[in-house]
Amino acid sequence: MDEALIDLAEHVEAAVGEKVAREDGGEELVLRVGRDALLEVLTFLRDDANCHFKCLVDLCGVDYPEHPERFEIVYNLLSHRHNFRIRIKTSTDEDAPVPSVSGLFSSAGWFEREAWDLYGIFFSDHPDLRRLLTDYGFEGFPMRKDFPLTGYVEVRYDDEQKRVVYEPVSLTQEFRTFDYLSPWEGPLPGDEKAESA
Amino acid sequence: MGVIGQPALGPGAEQDALLRGVNDELQDRGYVVAQLDKLVNWARSGSLWPMTFGLACCAVEMMHTACSRYDLDRFGIVFRPSPRQSDVMIVAGTLTNKMAPALRKVYDQMAEPRWVISMGSCANGGGYYHYSYSVVRGCDRVVPVDVYVPGCPPTAEALLYGVLLLQKKIQRTGTITR
Amino acid sequence: MAEAQIRNYTLNFGPQHPAAHGVLRMVMELDGEVVDRIDPHIGLLHRGTEKLIEHKTYLQAVPYFDRLDYVAPMNQEHAFALATEKLLGIDVPERGQYIRVLFSEISRVLNHLLNLTAFALDVGAMTPMLWGFEQRELLMEFYERASGARLHAAYFRPGGVHQDLPEGMLDDIAEWASAFPKFVADMEALLNENRIFKQRTVDIGHVSLEDALDWGFSGPMLRASGVPWDLRKAQPYDVYDRMDFDIPVGKNGDCYDRYLVRVEEMRQSLRIIDQCVRDMPGGPVVAETNKVAPPKRGEMKQSMEALIHHFKLYTEGYRVPAGETYTAVEAPKGEFGVYLVSDGTNKPYRCKIRAPGFAHLAAMDFLSRGHMLADSVAILGAMDIVFGEIDR
Repeated sequence: MDEALIDLAEHVEAAVGEKVAREDGGEELVLRVGRDALLEVLTFLRDDANCHFKCLVDLCGVDYPEHPERFEIVYNLLSHRHNFRIRIKTSTDEDAPVPSVSGLFSSAGWFEREAWDLYGIFFSDHPDLRRLLTDYGFEGFPMRKDFPLTGYVEVRYDDEQKRVVYEPVSLTQEFRTFDYLSPWEGPLPGDEKAESA
Repeated sequence: MGVIGQPALGPGAEQDALLRGVNDELQDRGYVVAQLDKLVNWARSGSLWPMTFGLACCAVEMMHTACSRYDLDRFGIVFRPSPRQSDVMIVAGTLTNKMAPALRKVYDQMAEPRWVISMGSCANGGGYYHYSYSVVRGCDRVVPVDVYVPGCPPTAEALLYGVLLLQKKIQRTGTITR
Repeated sequence: MAEAQIRNYTLNFGPQHPAAHGVLRMVMELDGEVVDRIDPHIGLLHRGTEKLIEHKTYLQAVPYFDRLDYVAPMNQEHAFALATEKLLGIDVPERGQYIRVLFSEISRVLNHLLNLTAFALDVGAMTPMLWGFEQRELLMEFYERASGARLHAAYFRPGGVHQDLPEGMLDDIAEWASAFPKFVADMEALLNENRIFKQRTVDIGHVSLEDALDWGFSGPMLRASGVPWDLRKAQPYDVYDRMDFDIPVGKNGDCYDRYLVRVEEMRQSLRIIDQCVRDMPGGPVVAETNKVAPPKRGEMKQSMEALIHHFKLYTEGYRVPAGETYTAVEAPKGEFGVYLVSDGTNKPYRCKIRAPGFAHLAAMDFLSRGHMLADSVAILGAMDIVFGEIDR
């Protein structure tokens, strides 16, 4: 990591203390924040003269079904003045709300709507949390890992009803997925030598 | 008008002779005699007005077909912004579930006789997005299609060829009755 | 006189509207002819790209990036290629980097040609479109010669570019580049001092510097507001650090300035294209590791190992070490970023696409409030939105 980025990380850690934890992000600076401290940390990053992260470039959710709190929310910030990027992460589950940052960054409004739409992450105090991308009346959250790729419904024009109707998906050919895990990697069933070694 | 229904004459002495013949008859008598249905088909296929209905990537190629180099205007094809004025719909791009009712509504607003060109693999059958949860697997599930143009996206020439095929189809199958 | 009861008027704009640049639907609340509120409904082209990418290998995911912003396809591939290379930890040979920069700039000109001329069409000028599209045809011929496709090239692959340029192509590009400034001058002669064009664009959709940052603007939208910010300069990738070019900056942040910034960017792109053609080094165009790039056709006929590599690459693909990165490029529309999470398999675990147009369109309500209905079309045109990338 860059010298300047390390300085920045230390500066942030000194200011907000134990609310942030640095994560290994290779060349990039990644900080993990608890949900309750999120607004405070982001406000600091935005207003502090040494940080000056005035621009929320991106906000997105990531789904890890095996984690205790399955959703991660990732905030990518950019400081035009100092030419830094920083990534803030926090996590939540299906129910716990995340404080909305649309009051801090106007651009967050639609990004949070998108995250709600695709993942079902609930943002508290969002002024207008409606679905954004999916169909009117869509059910489910398509980007979750347990949502099937082809979804549940498809549309067709019905000549008798004279309108477009929704029907359960029926595919003429299934989506082909292959298991690429090679049998030569990892222990084979009944291969006792591999376990003892 | 004798050319309609037969293979079209290319430029050359034969075509010139025919045109001169029609011209002489007009000069001489002030009218020509033609079969009404063929005349109607000639008029229809010679002034196909498609609607500007770009959905996705193919819309760019559709614009290129309409612009300087490929110049659809020379076939009497002029893009119209309103479905009420147009008789061809070019479905240019991916049709999503959210868009499908709107597409059908626009199609219903078009006056008869109307035709549909499905442009590109997404409109033909979902293409690269076939397995997506939000894409209609072929626009023929929503509107009846006359000509399918393959490609991702089809080149401007391919669309032009599709339009010419539609002209042929109209001349072959068109009737005066709706 | 008794006061008349005035009710606000709600107008549905789109989804099929010639000035909507695709499939935008906007519910507008109008007070007379003044816009009170705009609620853009997007997602009419939501194709589930991000979900599909999670089900494809890294190489199979590349063409999805063409289809995001289909006006400048290669810039999107560039972001994905850079992100994947960062995770793989491989370097691209110099010639490959030069070719990428060259085609990124060609794509930038392609994009601005379409945007500026379509914008002019929206506000009433037809001729620039007819002229500009001939130039686009010429550029698409270069696309076709390099990659085989006029639009969706799938040319920038992780590790480099797919194939070397055909012989003589650089000379043709140089020839085009020497003739192109005349077109720009002609277009400017039609528009710059055109009374109608200026009436429709000057002081329309004004954005201050603070607002532009707050709304996450990037690219020409940000530069027109007076921020000299360009990722090609600030965080250079590939060989942009060797290129000599300037960043045009606007003063007023209105639609007219956005137009001027884009015109000047085309000129700067030409400078970069010239430098690429002049300095183009020889050598390979793709990283010479058989784990990422396919072996040569001739090699495959001789060597069993090469054949196996080829088979493995096009069925299983390559595995990318676990990790994550946010990599952004300066696409013609602004900052195009890819947030790529890998879990060590051959498919991306998560690929979030950060589209510049998304942030711009989010500010549509803010930009149009208090303007006339007809001005919202000018604002939309100057925003340079393409639904492929916004809806994904």
